[in-house]
Amino acid sequence: MATHDIFMPALSSTMTEGKIVEWLKNPGDKVERGESVLVVESDKADMDVESFHDGFLASVLMPAGSSAPVGETIGLIVETADEIAAAQANAPSAPSQSVGEENKSSSTQIKEQKDTVDSSKTTVVNKEPISPSVLESSVNQPQFLNDGRVVASPRAKKLASQMGVDLATVRGSGPHGRIQAEDVQSAKGQPISVPWIAESNAPAKVVSDIPRIEKKPVDLDKPPAAGKSFGSRGETIAFNTLQQAVNRNMEESLNTPCFRVGYSILTDELDSFYKQVKPKGVTMTALLAKAVGLTLARHPQVNAAFTSEGIAYPSQINVAVAVAMEDGGLITPVLQNAEETSLSELSLQWADLVKRARNKQLEPQEYSSGTFTLSNLGMFGVDRFDAILPPGTGAILAVGASLPKVVASKDGSISIKKQMQVNLTADHRVIYGADGALFLKDLAYLIERNPYSLSS
Amino acid sequence: MDKKLHAVSPESGLNSNLDLTPQLAQFSSAFLFEPKNIVPFETALGWQKNFQKSLIAKPFSPQAVWLLEHFSCYTIGRGGDKNNLLFEENKSPVPVFRIERGGEVTHHMPGQIVGYLAFNLSLHKKDLYWYLRELEEVLIDVLDLLGIEGKRVDGLTGVWCADKKVGSIGIGCKRWITQHGFSLNVNCDLIGFEKIIPCGLDKVKLGKLSDWIPGIKVCDVKPLLRESVKRRFKLNWENI
Repeated sequence: MATHDIFMPALSSTMTEGKIVEWLKNPGDKVERGESVLVVESDKADMDVESFHDGFLASVLMPAGSSAPVGETIGLIVETADEIAAAQANAPSAPSQSVGEENKSSSTQIKEQKDTVDSSKTTVVNKEPISPSVLESSVNQPQFLNDGRVVASPRAKKLASQMGVDLATVRGSGPHGRIQAEDVQSAKGQPISVPWIAESNAPAKVVSDIPRIEKKPVDLDKPPAAGKSFGSRGETIAFNTLQQAVNRNMEESLNTPCFRVGYSILTDELDSFYKQVKPKGVTMTALLAKAVGLTLARHPQVNAAFTSEGIAYPSQINVAVAVAMEDGGLITPVLQNAEETSLSELSLQWADLVKRARNKQLEPQEYSSGTFTLSNLGMFGVDRFDAILPPGTGAILAVGASLPKVVASKDGSISIKKQMQVNLTADHRVIYGADGALFLKDLAYLIERNPYSLSS
Repeated sequence: MDKKLHAVSPESGLNSNLDLTPQLAQFSSAFLFEPKNIVPFETALGWQKNFQKSLIAKPFSPQAVWLLEHFSCYTIGRGGDKNNLLFEENKSPVPVFRIERGGEVTHHMPGQIVGYLAFNLSLHKKDLYWYLRELEEVLIDVLDLLGIEGKRVDGLTGVWCADKKVGSIGIGCKRWITQHGFSLNVNCDLIGFEKIIPCGLDKVKLGKLSDWIPGIKVCDVKPLLRESVKRRFKLNWENI
């Protein structure tokens, strides 16, 4: 079945998300190549989004009035009328519905809105304070002050409109008093959640580091906070677009026959190498991505993926690294050609990717071109876990923390060494047990015996 | 979050300038239309639509700029909120148009110069935020020539003098071909703005150039605008 995605277009190189003003076509309507299908608005600019294909609008994934990050799939086009039903069945249920129901059920909890919305207004989402869709529409609302000037970061403005904070009352801590997102949060009395990113530095971290990541002082009188949540007790929070995308991918992975294979890797050598290169700005993510990239170069089968035509061997080795987003969902920025890129270059690229991921400024190919995925929870002290295979790839490696272990060697002597458990999840249609095992054996050899080769 | 992430300053990284849009043309050409008479809104809308259509068909044909005045009317962007009209739409004393541009409701009337630009942004820069900022600069340059300090307000689109908004901007775009543009209040009657929440901004105060330069007229400002647009977008005027 030929399904074509309609993406949220970038109206500007600095645009992160756009608001869908209007769908000019209804699901089921015929569309011609070049015909306008919907209108997207950002700031004071409208853009007609055209179909690149002849066919039918099968599904509207984001309703009018809602906002989506640039690059997000917002609708589906199929080539023949017969495919409409199938595409609709595969597509996630229209968010408009769930938002609408949510709106009714939790109406008592909805914070009062400054502007009363006429009940005749069709865009339900405008009444939904927690929906990301409100953001764009309210960004243009009164931030205009008596002195005529509010200087705030785009994210702060967005948060302020989300949380109903008047920016005029917020004291800015940024340069020249610019209001930052944190200022809005503290004005609202919310704990400041520093974006937590699953940045990989597993071997360097041990369990005792956790409070540093958590950033919240542990109050002994109260039960310790078990973690973050996106909503309050008793609430149901609609999935954001990123979460929806993750949900789709995770559900799709159920169609893949996966198996897991694990390995314990000694990391003392890697740690000492890391200590040497760290002052040069090299990150653990870069080290792991490079190690995986170099090992994949010798194990092309593990870099391959299932397609209906057969086993696809990508022309590049692109290591995607999973990053948790602070407002829900996760994204997998990609380090392209990891095997032939230098450690410092990989570190720079990674810092850039993470920064832009957090600002939702990644181009689709920067998070969707991975051929192998790395997922690291080591910084939380997790000793082992298994990961779900992202669709379109053959394998994902789950990396645990590097922890001191009592290790017996062949000659019977006992010593304490640092050990990191890794766990490969692979699509058995492409990668067999022996392929996975040999890949892990080589990866372990590289990390245990030869980490210095990573700098070549 | 791991602070080590920032041991390498991301700012110095690869993304310092991600915009690789080539500056295709040093100079592009455009027709300049300056109707002498006041133009009904729907007439000018028709001109723009036809021009946009032909530019989509022939992207490298000359672009167009209109500088004109409208009879009193209100216009709302497609995503605009009707609640910003403080009267019932069908009982409006003057016509109300819902049009294909971004932004909320605004008001046109004689004494205000409206600038419509049908540009192929592929020839300039395929970036609508850039385009909005450039349109603001066009107006700020004109104010500067008149000795008035114009400024923008961070996070909003438009041009302000002191605390009064004198210039509004709203555009529509299809295949990077633009329509609509800006309006600049010269010596118009601002009373019509009291019946709307202009641009959806609750407390916005509207101003006009004659507040600063008593006696200034549309015909004094038009030539400055014409040159400002030409300079800012590096245009050559086509002979008509």
